Amino acid sequence: MQDIDTLFEDLKLAEVFTTSKGSVHQCDKENCWYIDFGGKVNRFDYRCLLKLKKAVYLIDIEALLLKSERSADIEIVFICACDHCYILDTLQIIAMKELLEGTFTMLKLNHIIHDCLYRLAV
Amino acid sequence: MAMKDIMRVKCLISSEIEGLLNQQIRKEAQSSSIYLAMASWCDRNGFDGSASYFFKQAEEERLHQLKFFKYILDMGGTAVSPEISGIKIEYNSFREVFEDALDQEVSVTQSIKNIAGRCHKEQDFVTMEFLNWFLKEQREEEYKARRALELFEVIGEEGTGRWQIDKHVGDIKYNSEA
Repeated sequence: MQDIDTLFEDLKLAEVFTTSKGSVHQCDKENCWYIDFGGKVNRFDYRCLLKLKKAVYLIDIEALLLKSERSADIEIVFICACDHCYILDTLQIIAMKELLEGTFTMLKLNHIIHDCLYRLAV
Repeated sequence: MAMKDIMRVKCLISSEIEGLLNQQIRKEAQSSSIYLAMASWCDRNGFDGSASYFFKQAEEERLHQLKFFKYILDMGGTAVSPEISGIKIEYNSFREVFEDALDQEVSVTQSIKNIAGRCHKEQDFVTMEFLNWFLKEQREEEYKARRALELFEVIGEEGTGRWQIDKHVGDIKYNSEA
C-alpha cells in the first residue's frame, strides 16, 4: 500500500477514516478526498464521493454471496463523469463499504462538532 | 485544528432530508399523474366540471413537485427526476374518483408531516420554514377533497344528482384566514 502522507506532503491531508484495507484522507485546500484502496490512490471531489457512496451502497452484497453460478466474482464500480473506476471482488466490496461507512460517519461527526462548537463561537 | 466541514460548505441539507425531499418529489409527481388520470376518466364519462377540476389539481401538484425540486437544488443537493408508473385509469364509479382523491391528499399530508418530524429531530429550521407553506397548502387541499366528497351526501346521487355534483365541484373554495 502506498504511503499517502509521503505522496502528498504539501497537501496537509487529514485522516478521515482508516481500516486494514484502506484509508480516506481529506484535503482542506482542494476540498477533496484521497481514497487509498486496492493498491491505488484516487482523488474524489464532493460530487464524485457521493456518487461512489451511492454506487457501492447499491451493490447487493447478499446476492453476491449467495450467487452459485460459475461466473467471475467481480463487480465493476463505474462512476459517471469521474476519472476512476474500481474492479472489485466481493470481499473488496465489503471492505470498500466498511471504509465508506466509516468515512461518512466521521464526516457527519465532524459536521456535528462544527455545528455545535465553531458556528456558535464565530 | 479541526478538519473543514466540506459537506456543509457544499450543501445546506443533510443527506437524510435530501432523501425525504426526493421521495416527496416522487409523491407529488405521482399525485399529478393520478389527478390527470381522474380528469381523463371524468371527461370520458361526461363529467366536464370534475374533469376541469382535476386538470387544475394535476397542474397544482406539478407546481408543488417543482417547488421541492428547486429547493433541493438551491440548497446544494441532488434533485432526482422521478419515474412514475402504474397509474390507475379506470374507476368503478364517479364517487370512487373523489374517494381516491381524498385518500391521495391525506397521504401527501402524512408524508409532509414525516419530513417535518425529521426537520425537528435534526434542527433543520431552514427546511422546516420551507415546509410551512406546504403544511398550510395541505389544509386547503384536504378541505377541498373532503368538501367534494360531501357533495355526494348533501346532493345525493339519485336522479340528476351526479349532474348537480359535477356542476358544483368547481365552486369549492377555501377562504380561511386563520
